[in-house]
Amino acid sequence: MAASISHPALSSLRKINCNTNGIFSLISFSRRISVSSVLSTSAVATEKEGAGRGVRGQRRSKRQAGEPRTERMSVDQDWTAVYPTAAPFKPSAVPLPVRMGYPVKRGVPPAKKGNLELIKIPNFLHLTPVAIKKHCEALKQFCTEWPAALNSDEKCMKHFPIQVQSKEFVSAGLSVRNPDARIVTLKVKLSSLNLDDHARKKMIKLSEERYCKDTDTLTIVTDSCPLRQQNYDYAMYLLTVLYHESWKSEAWEQEKTRADMEEYEWEDSPSQKNLLDTLLRMRPTGAKDEEEGAREELLGQPAVQEYRDTLLKLKNEGETEENLQKYKEAVKKLFNI
Amino acid sequence: MATSLVRQTKLLSIVTSQFNSAACFRNIHCTAACLKNRAARIRVGKGDKSVTYEQAYHPHDIGHRKGWLSQHTSNLQGEDEAAERVVEDVFIRRFMYGTFHNCLADEVVIKRRGNLLVICAMMIQKLLPSKFYFLIGYSEELLSHFYKCPVKIEMQTVEEKVVYKYL
Repeated sequence: MAASISHPALSSLRKINCNTNGIFSLISFSRRISVSSVLSTSAVATEKEGAGRGVRGQRRSKRQAGEPRTERMSVDQDWTAVYPTAAPFKPSAVPLPVRMGYPVKRGVPPAKKGNLELIKIPNFLHLTPVAIKKHCEALKQFCTEWPAALNSDEKCMKHFPIQVQSKEFVSAGLSVRNPDARIVTLKVKLSSLNLDDHARKKMIKLSEERYCKDTDTLTIVTDSCPLRQQNYDYAMYLLTVLYHESWKSEAWEQEKTRADMEEYEWEDSPSQKNLLDTLLRMRPTGAKDEEEGAREELLGQPAVQEYRDTLLKLKNEGETEENLQKYKEAVKKLFNI
Repeated sequence: MATSLVRQTKLLSIVTSQFNSAACFRNIHCTAACLKNRAARIRVGKGDKSVTYEQAYHPHDIGHRKGWLSQHTSNLQGEDEAAERVVEDVFIRRFMYGTFHNCLADEVVIKRRGNLLVICAMMIQKLLPSKFYFLIGYSEELLSHFYKCPVKIEMQTVEEKVVYKYL
């Protein structure tokens, strides 16, 4: 009986020794002191200690953490089962020996266990190619085929000339609303609309800076209404109104002067008058009577036509090397130089 | 009477001019002291203080040697509600620190995926797993009611704090 209690008594005695430095000398004595005396002195203490050790023992000798999942992973496992959705980095679930962080002097970057840097960064472990294939397979049942007739950009533009663009916004936060999502942009090429010369010029004049000459595109941006549907309706309404108004001719449009013209026209221009006068004077003095017929005859000549073409190019397209050369040739031909 | 007043003002001006000299120059501070050069820094000591990676590197190392503890889109160009997110973050950190008393091994990492609020915490294995689970459920429930959004707590445990170096 004494022997059976000796163990806890001795260990508790050692514990008392560890806790209180004053009784160091007892350690050397503990082996020789008889059990009975030890029992008598610390009989009360053992119970207390036993009870204390019981509670503390529950905390100290807690059950060990199990082995991490990485030990039991096979090489050909299904990774989408480990990371099915976006999740932070779990060192016990990722079997890679990843290290992250700035190394201490003469050291290595810290290991993955307990590494906060690996948790901070976003990871794409849930988006392996296999996982994406699975997503696509699951989404296929909700998709329809692209119509086979629309197999080129030109055909798409031909059948659907009006392009409407709007933006959707996704952000992290409690609110889904974003006021910039109401903006609608409508783009259409004027060549796809049924316009004659006058209507086209009037439409370009009406749309001012919304028309781009290089790409022949009319762009209407609407953001005055609070909802996207309203802005879309307004943009379509604006397009309709522009189209119909450009076909109409108002009475005051007859007063269009040379300064309002978009392009340079050679007919009835000072240049034409000057040229005809010069050519008429160049003629021999005999045929001065029929001036009207002479003018039309002169206009019909190929040299004059060529001069007209080169002059139009110069005025409308601007001065380039090519244009100036052609003008030079045309003038030379006219005056037989 | 007038001469004594004049003398007093003269004395005052002499005294103030003396105070305004470089030796004893006092200003009136109207704002709280920020101490930007002492924030989030553990000063080098005798070599017995253990610090984690997060504590070892100072705020000027964020973006160079440290990442960001909280990530959301409000800090991007043209995005709204950055201040609201910051206030939420501060509250969440204090909440986690208080709920899991003495269990946190490192700072709390907060991520936002759209509406979802993900709180990643690293804990020391101080409590029983069942107690941890209860506290996780309690925190998730309470925070989701506060912020009217789904809250998920991703917890990892380590045996003891991961020491990076000793200062």
